[in-house]
Amino acid sequence: MQHNNMFNYKNYRYFKWAVVVILVAFAAYLLFEPAVGHYGGSWLGYGLGTISALMVFWMAWYGVRKRRYRSSGNTQGWLSAHIYLGTALTVLVTLHTGFRFGLNIHTFAYGMLLIVVVSGFFGNYAYMIYPRLMTENMGEDSLDGLLLRIAETDKLARQIALVMPDDINFTVDRACRETYIGTRLLEQLRGYQEDCPTEKAVKKLTVMGNDLSPEQRKLYRELYSIMVRRQTLVKRVRQELMYRSRLGIWLYFHVPFAIALITAMLVHIIAVFLYW
Amino acid sequence: MRSYRTLNAEELTIGRGAECNIHLLDPRIAMHHAVIKRLDDGQTHLVAINGELQVDGLMVSEVALTDGQQAMIGPYLLKVEPAPPDVNISVSLELSHRLPDDFQDLKARTHEPLQGSSSVKRKIALGLFAFITLIFLALPLAQNLSSRLHTTMEELPMGFDRVWSPGHISNAHLHFGSQCFNCHEKLTQQVTDAACLTCHQDTAPHIANAALQKQVFNQKHRFSEGIRCAECHREHKAPVSLTRQDNAKCVECHGNIKAVNAKTDLSNVHDFDKDHPPFKLTFITENQQVERISQTEKERLIEQSGLIFPHSQHVGKVQGPNGMADVRDLTCTNCHHPKGKEMRFSPPTFERDCKTCHRKELKLGSAEKAIYAPHGSVQQVVSAMQTEAPKQAATYLETLKTEGCAYCHEVLETQKEDALPWQIKPLTINHDWFSKAHFNHAKHRTQQCQACHDVETSETSEDVAMPDKAVCLKCHSGNKPKYKRIASTCMSCHEFHDAHATQEALLKK
Repeated sequence: MQHNNMFNYKNYRYFKWAVVVILVAFAAYLLFEPAVGHYGGSWLGYGLGTISALMVFWMAWYGVRKRRYRSSGNTQGWLSAHIYLGTALTVLVTLHTGFRFGLNIHTFAYGMLLIVVVSGFFGNYAYMIYPRLMTENMGEDSLDGLLLRIAETDKLARQIALVMPDDINFTVDRACRETYIGTRLLEQLRGYQEDCPTEKAVKKLTVMGNDLSPEQRKLYRELYSIMVRRQTLVKRVRQELMYRSRLGIWLYFHVPFAIALITAMLVHIIAVFLYW
Repeated sequence: MRSYRTLNAEELTIGRGAECNIHLLDPRIAMHHAVIKRLDDGQTHLVAINGELQVDGLMVSEVALTDGQQAMIGPYLLKVEPAPPDVNISVSLELSHRLPDDFQDLKARTHEPLQGSSSVKRKIALGLFAFITLIFLALPLAQNLSSRLHTTMEELPMGFDRVWSPGHISNAHLHFGSQCFNCHEKLTQQVTDAACLTCHQDTAPHIANAALQKQVFNQKHRFSEGIRCAECHREHKAPVSLTRQDNAKCVECHGNIKAVNAKTDLSNVHDFDKDHPPFKLTFITENQQVERISQTEKERLIEQSGLIFPHSQHVGKVQGPNGMADVRDLTCTNCHHPKGKEMRFSPPTFERDCKTCHRKELKLGSAEKAIYAPHGSVQQVVSAMQTEAPKQAATYLETLKTEGCAYCHEVLETQKEDALPWQIKPLTINHDWFSKAHFNHAKHRTQQCQACHDVETSETSEDVAMPDKAVCLKCHSGNKPKYKRIASTCMSCHEFHDAHATQEALLKK
């Protein structure tokens, strides 16, 4: 187990903070119920809203700070606070809504927040799980190293296939030349490619070697094991790309939707005081 | 690098196979790819066997090898060259599509994920920013700022500013509520009472006295025009009631009522259970004045209706007019008839209620020469006596004054010069004891009448059988519900817009 990660930073300091914030908010929510039920415009609602808005800006400041490479406190500490207080913030905002939702800017802003938080949770999960899996998958290899090894297997496989019957030769050739790795985002995220020529080739080769002469058969066995090795290598590369894409994809939501959240939140605040 | 070979054969096989005349060692070439041979037409042709041939980009199965003809055999370009004199045909083969470098090729086919991610993210962020600003800010603002756009939007079922609505509109206001400007007249300005009064012109004020109303409410809100409708009527909270049902707003003034009006004789109140003053009953005095008397002043709680009626003799088993066997079981509703949704009671009448047991006319004189006094005005009775028995009229009228009419009515003496010998006191039946509150009998119909109105022992019609606060508190509590007691707020019994309960209004009833 790792020591001192972003979750147990300073003996769960920010986790404790978050718990306190959530408990205080819940207590206030239960104790001070306006006559017309909870809503964002009650005194409690304004209080929760103001605190939440400030917290949103503070959360966003983490993103700015991170890109500045200028030190003001420990980055791990900041991240720990970002995660735990961000979770607490979600509870605060949910109480701020008073569970009144509708087709309006207010609920829209809340939706933006949920997208940001959920993507953040996914990012959290990704950084908890994938780096270890990536190390397991890649070992000492690099991506280019794996590609080089695939290229080597290609060369070997082709050479042997030259003396094989046409169908075997073409299957191998196609597998070598038409295997794409991570064509589209969806495949990258799934880490799996439908109709992968290499996979198909390995499957086909099991039934192709029936009519071979004894000398060919020996080469054929070698060819088969080369192709299986290729398949494994391709799988590992795909897996690597999958992890990389999953480690990156959540930021496609987290960052732009954080901008959207801040915009929507500001419009929400403006709208409330334009018609009040 | 070019090499030249001269081959001597009937046909030239081209392929990957070692036995082929032209041996092309390339994985893209079939084992037996094609053959060059002379066909029946006498010409030399290139014929595909297991491989593919292409001429000008089209797949063909054979092609005649005339001078200058070109064809692709897999990655090789075959060209028919001018033949030297001792040769049938001369062709050149050139590898035009070299097998690419495996690594580079594979790398080109490997797409790393999330390329150019920061520009994509920036685009998404910008798109979202633009969308939100346009839909949720620019368009609603434009509608407010440009009168032309505003006029156009007025015709539509909803405006751009509908997206600002913080919650559902109450059912009563739904038909115009999706157009915000109907209530929100000006940006940044809170909804004014003027907007409410467009429809609700006839809403009664809280205090009937206009000067007092103005003074009291300005006292409370020194910096504004008094209390706004919207302080108690909160819109956009449906399905929660539009009107506040809690006491907070009432208690703001009534919790310390002297602060808003030093001269008032009202008591402070915060909670029905804790500090509501004893009820006051509304009496209409003999000189037609409204007087409110606290139920604690028991000696003053005397109803002077002009009737003589002991309730105790009219409840339960009573003797009917038709002999011993005629026993009737009277309940309250025999005489008090509920009417309307709220089950208020119309006053009993002689014709409808008394007559079912009591005789319509009073019998006077001996059995043989009996005469009857009708139930009517004193004038009618006097006329009847004077017509039926002119001689004994004075005696009979004296009897009626002390026994007959006086059995149920209070009789008043008259001056000597008056036309009538005596008068019946006009009836003043009280309809509304709790004129400052509302009470719905229908909501209390599960209770027995006697649970609140103690009339079984009442010997005289002077008794006022109205329940006091303690009776209510048996089932009701204050702001918070208590064990087996219902929470009751100010609004449970009182109306805010209650200026109708004025003296004039009460007397009119």
